[in-house]
Amino acid sequence: MGIDDIDRDLLEATIRRALARGGDFAEVFVEDRTSLGLKLEDSRVEDASGGHEIGAAVRLTSAERTYYAYTDEVDEPNLAVAAGIVAGALRGAAGAGPTIVRLGNVRSVTGKHPIFVPPETVTVRLKSELLRAGNEAARSVSDDVGQAIVGYSEARQRILIANSLGEFVHDDRTRLRLVASVIARRDGVMQTGFETLGKSMGFELLDEATAAEVGRRAAEKAVTMLAAKPSPVGPMPVVMGNGFGGTLFHEACGHGLEADSIAKGASIYAGRIGEVVASPIVNAFDDGSITNEWGSGTFDDEGVPTQLTVVIEGGRLRQFLYDRLRARQAGVAPTGNGRRQSFRHVPIPRMTTTCIGPGDSDPEEIIAATSRGFYAKSLAGGQVEPASGNFVFGVAEGYLIENGKVTTPLRGATLVGNGIDVLNNIDMIAGDFLVKSGMCGKDGQSVPVGTGQATLRIKEMTVGGTGS
Amino acid sequence: MFGVVDEVLRLARQRGARGAEVYAEQATSRRIKVYRQRVEELTAARRKGVGLRVFQSGAVGYAYASDLSAKSLEDLVDRALGNASVTDPDPHATLPEPQGPPPQVDVYDPLLERATDEQRIDLALRAEKAALDHDPRVKTVEDTIYADGDVEIFLANSAGVRGSYRENDCYAFAYVLAEQDGQVETGLSFTVGRNLDELDPEACGSEAAQRACDLLGARKVPSLKATVILDPFVSASFLGVLSSALTADAVQKGRSLFAGREGRQVAGGIVGLADDGIHPDGLSSAPFDGEGTPCRRTSLIEGGILQGFLYDTYTANKAGVGSTGNGVRGSYASLPGVRSTNLIVDGPATPIGDVIAGIEHGVLVTNAVGVRSGANPISGEFSVGINGLLIESGRLAGGVREVTLASDIISMLRNIVALGDDARWIPNGSVLTPSLVIEGISIGGA
Repeated sequence: MGIDDIDRDLLEATIRRALARGGDFAEVFVEDRTSLGLKLEDSRVEDASGGHEIGAAVRLTSAERTYYAYTDEVDEPNLAVAAGIVAGALRGAAGAGPTIVRLGNVRSVTGKHPIFVPPETVTVRLKSELLRAGNEAARSVSDDVGQAIVGYSEARQRILIANSLGEFVHDDRTRLRLVASVIARRDGVMQTGFETLGKSMGFELLDEATAAEVGRRAAEKAVTMLAAKPSPVGPMPVVMGNGFGGTLFHEACGHGLEADSIAKGASIYAGRIGEVVASPIVNAFDDGSITNEWGSGTFDDEGVPTQLTVVIEGGRLRQFLYDRLRARQAGVAPTGNGRRQSFRHVPIPRMTTTCIGPGDSDPEEIIAATSRGFYAKSLAGGQVEPASGNFVFGVAEGYLIENGKVTTPLRGATLVGNGIDVLNNIDMIAGDFLVKSGMCGKDGQSVPVGTGQATLRIKEMTVGGTGS
Repeated sequence: MFGVVDEVLRLARQRGARGAEVYAEQATSRRIKVYRQRVEELTAARRKGVGLRVFQSGAVGYAYASDLSAKSLEDLVDRALGNASVTDPDPHATLPEPQGPPPQVDVYDPLLERATDEQRIDLALRAEKAALDHDPRVKTVEDTIYADGDVEIFLANSAGVRGSYRENDCYAFAYVLAEQDGQVETGLSFTVGRNLDELDPEACGSEAAQRACDLLGARKVPSLKATVILDPFVSASFLGVLSSALTADAVQKGRSLFAGREGRQVAGGIVGLADDGIHPDGLSSAPFDGEGTPCRRTSLIEGGILQGFLYDTYTANKAGVGSTGNGVRGSYASLPGVRSTNLIVDGPATPIGDVIAGIEHGVLVTNAVGVRSGANPISGEFSVGINGLLIESGRLAGGVREVTLASDIISMLRNIVALGDDARWIPNGSVLTPSLVIEGISIGGA
């Protein structure tokens, strides 16, 4: 049975079956996903892989407990089995839940993230030409470019969500992404450079010129870093670049604002709404509704409309990021942050596009105001322990700042610190706001996210590395 | 599932595939999370799907589907052939040939199938309770998870490779937060087996709690060059990064720091490292890999000298050698790629207490944050944040925090001077390793 064959009666019956032995919320999530991935390495298009998966999950919650069953055979008998599993797991729960479920009209909002050229209407051949364009551009940057990996991925995900509140939502999401990873080599030194372009858009996002740009930028980073010296270590002022620099806020603070960490007291931000957690120039928000952005959707994966949520305003903590379950526990409205990787995953609170808002300095002014420091132009990725707020980031592209000027490229540096300390130490923010796309992993689930940030300065932060 | 596999092979041949390989799986799994001695989440799952790889004179195309209806399978074949038409042919991309009978590997325990949800929940509750009761400074157990999986693999290709096996395993995991004077530290532990009786939830819970409590009171230290001990958890995460550089894929594509170093000293003279796809206790053991090649043990480093690399069919063809059975697949949705199976470090063991007693200034590292992001598998350079315990005059002397450990993989391997007697399996990446004792590492402090 395909997603278009699922009717209202089947969804209503499944929800009723799930609630047969009690519970306070039941939901059916049906997903149809087609995807295509192409990869070029060694100047060869070597992998071309496409998939089509369909499946459904039945979720039942009772107070703080969640029961979840999924199947990749979406038909009446298998949905009945899944509903029976979650209902059966609830043994011993007091009282039966609502037995009559009437779904409202399906909500299907189109046009919020317009797709002009559906990728499935474009030949795989044309897509493979993008990889070659990215590869040639990367290799033309320098003879030191030794290897280029260029990847293209597209996915179309159609979902139906129906729940015991009578809500019935349909969403249709298309995402495209191009990534380039380049290795440059000189005198036994190897360095890598990475660049990406991803949006919730159709094929209008990409052409050979944009693909070439992605390849060229990755190559330039790798080649620049060949001349890098070992980074000095120790505490110093750090200027974070725009775009990828937003990974800092995502890792160091964003995860601690997700309501599952808050509910378990496993976040330094728990119980601190209204308190000062950042310097007064910091305004931060999560926004899953930005048009065509990589981390955007019309609804989240629980059928809640996405929204702009201000999390920090003028340095004060304003709001956490909620899914339905944690919102209900906390007695607040969900914020459209209930996300899941697929029907095979329980929705949990997740960021969408998370940003520190722009300020009124300019990037050159920030560098000029720094007599000696570290310029982290792009970050490789990082990890954080939300419980303590301690984090570490790899720096993909870093430079020394001397006498108000960006000088020597630096390699092997990491940034180490604590989320709240860093937020409190932000003393300048520029206006060159930029969003970059990435994938974020949590609890074994990977979802598309964006990080948005302008160039900003942290008064003092620990830089780790191999130098002295 | 062989019915589906054979039907896809037939359709592929009928529609013009020269060589075809079909990989199908069906699986069931359970995952239970408990919190404060109650079930927080229970997930029951059934999964199945099929993947088709076609070979058209060296051009390879792949497609997969979870829908096994006749129409979906026809579509699958068309998409695989369509994808093959855009890849660049390479004469080394050939259909794997039959390699004789696979080894006998016992990776299925029928006992696990009889486990009830009550037993599974009880096991998770015991792990959480052990953590909560271990020390009054334990604030909460953020995650206590029990999970198991049962998967059947079916593989056949048009050159005559054909096989199937069933594998199952189960594990429990606890992630503990401990607090003292406003400082929060975390600790985790696992217990792994093929049936519930093999798991030790109490040991898992109390070890996770102990690892968190050990770090309480941690202080910043100045930068120093010191001897460090990476405990098995930390060693395993470094070995995970290292293993990608030991694949022939990385070597042939110019992104391995081990390229051209075969026969040369790359690690301390006591260090042995092997990939063992048929180890009886290995979670990644199987009779054959994702291409049907029999799994086996492959020596990578012996006496500190690099012995060779890991191969799948393609990289083996290119190098003119045989596949080592390392064409690994994540699931039916992924192409096989060269990856390690179970990584095993061996060599002469020194009691870990003796090692600590012999160190004047050092750090016992129990947690490394950012190994994935902070270690560059291509250049080998890394710089990661660590937590651990200071060693002074042969004794453990309290926790350290906000320090970084920086070096490069080859220097680190060469400076391994001892291996602990505490070897254990770390499920994340399936690594069997003791503590690694390394001299002269830069520690960046405050």
